[in-house]
Amino acid sequence: MPTVDIAPDELRELTGHGEKSDDDLRDDLFELGLEYEGETDEGELRFEFEPDRLDRLSVEGVARSLRYQYGDDRGVYVPSTNDPDWTIRIEDVPDERPYVTGAVVRGLDLDEASLDSLIQLQEKLHATMGRKRAKGAIGVHDLTMLKGGEAADDGSGKSVRYTGIERDGDTFVPLEGDAEMTPGEVLAGHHIGEEYADLVAEYDRVPAIYDSIGLFSFPPVVNGRRTEVSTESRDLFIEMTGTDQWTIDHMLNVVCYALDARGGTIEEVRVEYENPPAEYGAELVRPDFTTKTKTVAHDRIERTLGIELADDDVIDLLERSGLDGESTGADGESAYNVTIPPYRVDVLHPVDVIDDVGRAYGFNELEPRYPEVGTIGGRHERARLAEAVRTALVGLGFQDLLNFHLTSEDELRERMRLDTDGDVLGASEPVSVTNPYSEDYTVVRTWLLPSIMQVLENNTHRRYPQDLAEVGFVAQRDDAETTGVAEAHHVAGALARHDVSYEDAKARLQVLVDDFDAELATPPTEHPSFIDGRVATVEIDGDAVGVIGELHPAVLVEHDLELPVVAFEFDLERLE
Amino acid sequence: MELPSDQLAVLEAASADERRTVDELSEVTGLATAAVTRAAFELEDAGLLTVTETTEESVSLTDEGRSYLDEGLPEHRLYRAAVEAGADEGGVSMGQVIGAADLDGEAVDIALSNFARKGYGEIDSGEISAEPGVDLDADPEATALETIDAGESVEDANVLDQLERRDLIERDERTVRSVELTDAGVTELMAGIEEAEEVDRLTPDLLTSGEWEDVTFAEYNVEADAEAIDGGKVHPLRSMAERVKEVLVGMGFEEMEGPHADAEFWINDALFMPQDHPARTHWDQFALDVPPMDDLPGGVRQDVERAHREGVGPDGEGYHSPWGEEMARQVDLRGHTTSLSARHLAGVAKGDLEPPQRFFSVEKAYRNDEIDATHLLEFFQIEGWVMAEDLSVRDLMGTFTEFYEQFGITDLEFKPTYNPYTEPSFELFGEHPVTGEVVEIGNSGIFRPEMLDPLGVDCDVMAWGLALERLMMLVTGAEDIRDVHGTLVDLDYLRTEEVRY
Repeated sequence: MPTVDIAPDELRELTGHGEKSDDDLRDDLFELGLEYEGETDEGELRFEFEPDRLDRLSVEGVARSLRYQYGDDRGVYVPSTNDPDWTIRIEDVPDERPYVTGAVVRGLDLDEASLDSLIQLQEKLHATMGRKRAKGAIGVHDLTMLKGGEAADDGSGKSVRYTGIERDGDTFVPLEGDAEMTPGEVLAGHHIGEEYADLVAEYDRVPAIYDSIGLFSFPPVVNGRRTEVSTESRDLFIEMTGTDQWTIDHMLNVVCYALDARGGTIEEVRVEYENPPAEYGAELVRPDFTTKTKTVAHDRIERTLGIELADDDVIDLLERSGLDGESTGADGESAYNVTIPPYRVDVLHPVDVIDDVGRAYGFNELEPRYPEVGTIGGRHERARLAEAVRTALVGLGFQDLLNFHLTSEDELRERMRLDTDGDVLGASEPVSVTNPYSEDYTVVRTWLLPSIMQVLENNTHRRYPQDLAEVGFVAQRDDAETTGVAEAHHVAGALARHDVSYEDAKARLQVLVDDFDAELATPPTEHPSFIDGRVATVEIDGDAVGVIGELHPAVLVEHDLELPVVAFEFDLERLE
Repeated sequence: MELPSDQLAVLEAASADERRTVDELSEVTGLATAAVTRAAFELEDAGLLTVTETTEESVSLTDEGRSYLDEGLPEHRLYRAAVEAGADEGGVSMGQVIGAADLDGEAVDIALSNFARKGYGEIDSGEISAEPGVDLDADPEATALETIDAGESVEDANVLDQLERRDLIERDERTVRSVELTDAGVTELMAGIEEAEEVDRLTPDLLTSGEWEDVTFAEYNVEADAEAIDGGKVHPLRSMAERVKEVLVGMGFEEMEGPHADAEFWINDALFMPQDHPARTHWDQFALDVPPMDDLPGGVRQDVERAHREGVGPDGEGYHSPWGEEMARQVDLRGHTTSLSARHLAGVAKGDLEPPQRFFSVEKAYRNDEIDATHLLEFFQIEGWVMAEDLSVRDLMGTFTEFYEQFGITDLEFKPTYNPYTEPSFELFGEHPVTGEVVEIGNSGIFRPEMLDPLGVDCDVMAWGLALERLMMLVTGAEDIRDVHGTLVDLDYLRTEEVRY
């Protein structure tokens, strides 16, 4: 889950609530769904929150939410914007990263805290909506360090150019660097470049942004040092590049709202596409602070919350959520045209508006009730069978086990002396995990006895006899299945005793099979895990479904056991 | 007087002027030690003899201790090699001496530390120097090992402590009981005691012959500890699962089953999880090395894709994320059993479902997460859902309040949260039945239209989930899930864990 680090003094200042103690703020933020995680090294408070409200990734957004919660603000707020002076021209960009957006923010008075907050917001947006910069990457520049080229035919305005260049096509001094480097050199030899090299590894040419002085940004990897932002910066130029216009436009909205809260004036930027994206015109004006509207039926709100509300109440709750609502139709049967501000990236459907209404109302104010819905409960037949077999095994004195489904081929095969791909139980091809957690958990088990042998191995210091059993899941590769995996449940039991022999296992298996009114036969067979001449096929009602025998000494020694073990394993379904 | 035969034998074997141990009496009388002990205590109660208990220490060599009998203590070997290399006349390279002493692995550290401790010489900057003329044969530790091996006792407690610290010996204590005749005992023996007609075991013979009517039965020490045995028990986590299932069946829920290995379509896409969701793009799930699944149900597949791209309803809007069928076909181990709910809701598990319905499962889910005290790669997810024409947040709260009360968890709180496939969504918190702490106990919500609509469901469905292991740890106080679930389990835990019902 994302976290946000908040300096409590900043929050008091931005909300205008100097009287709130740190504890008050923590409680108020918990109400908003921000959970206190602890203090950072810099003495800020760290909060964890759910990744839907990405407008709360910085103290400015959190302060805005708190002001709505306190009732200081109501309804939708949209900052005013000035007309564009700057243009971003898109020419011959890399196909992999065609989209760009931008804004200018003027008149800021950044101190260390607000600059840190801006940097944090960029990082958090990169990590979340930006999908680690793959989907959207932000560049913030000191506007005074940019020299715009010509923009319009009439000579008014200024422009920068977003394009693609060869890896060795130009040079610039990257942030945290002190020499001219090509993009290729940055990717190979600059610590930020190395970190993000994977993002552009497949690109034919790399993205580049120019002003009339030259290359100043290499998105999504690193900005140039020339335009680096400091506390001296008053006017900012913000550009974002990415793989989806909607995503970067909304990342931009979140950043612009935060800078608006810091007293900046938002100035629009023209975005001129050479090949305009579908759904968008050739010339965009950004940031796009257009609100969106969702229609929400009154009865749908009442149905979801389980309470009755007056129209005025609903509108009040909407406004307390930072939304606007306009009722249409008669009281009680109405619907609402709900206006949603442009920083909200989480509202995909009217149900999200209903959730906001519920949060503003206070979900914990609702009285629980047991639904008057009649249904008949019951167990799945296979689960009931497994349960009955487990009960029978426990009655026979077996300790029931519950082992992992994931294991290794070493456990399944080598340690069980299963060196061939023969037709014997356990030797079928296991299903492998392509990204295992560790070499101990690389495949799904094909049979249960290896798990039981591991438990015996780990308990040699415990009292004997150790009679262990498991009814559990196994799987193997099978292309006839739609998933490519044949899943089954097996029954296995093992007796580890100083004086145990084959008949002890057979006697118990016989009782178990008799209990389920089936016929057991045990014709001799061969299986590498067992001693030749002391191993048989388990045949239930004439079908070969498992194996029973005395474990091979090599298998026992491999598992550090110093006494004999007899065991059986077969397919649970055959007891149906 | 009359005495049972065992007691008489013990009394006759006991002496008035010498203590005899139970072992000695057992040898003389031919009775088992347990029988001798029992008789002795009964005779003591009758005032005929006294029983004295003493503690005897036995010392035995560990495998390591025994191995030094032949090889010599590592520090001795080191000293001899050092002297041989001339270290008694000046520093010699340590590596050379260790090699000559044929020491490796742990033995090197053991040799070096004891070498220094016993003052055989000094080790400084990789060089070893030896005190000249140390008499290794005079080392009490070596002598003690030989003494113990010979079955004799070592008196020097300091040496024994030192050997125990080095794990070269094991010390055990046992209680030795010995008896001595009292004056009364002597008097009665002199007067003559007759053997009482007593039987130990009731035999079939005694029963069929009717002889049982004429005998008295030897008294047993009914308070004595019996030999330990281990019965079979259901695994504690399994019995917790059964308990949960029983509660849910009682609340009208029907059990679901379905594939552990499934297409991401059912695990994620049908749940309106965007394909570039961090949980899908990273390594949180276990992808399987099998061909992609071919038969996604056509209509549902198209509707799911549309929901992702365009949303559902006139005001719906999808994710601004890419969607490709290739990813949907990839087969994984299910990351949650909500895949079963998706299959049931879509009608591919049990045919089309008409409301009302309640379904649940308590089955394995798989997460590629760090393993620690509360996380394993596999866990049992309790998953439940209710389908009805009209369901509100209040119905959801009422259902879960009822469920958790069955486990003693009360005062539920519903914290609004975010979940890609439910809205509203709630994390559930409740009061711990023992500690009273407020703890997280699950996640819940009402399925989003973007999930239900493509699956062909046009009524409300509310759902919740939590890990069975979490519930079990809350209810039983277990602190480390690795001790409970899996092949590292301690049989002693399984055998002694309280049975819950």
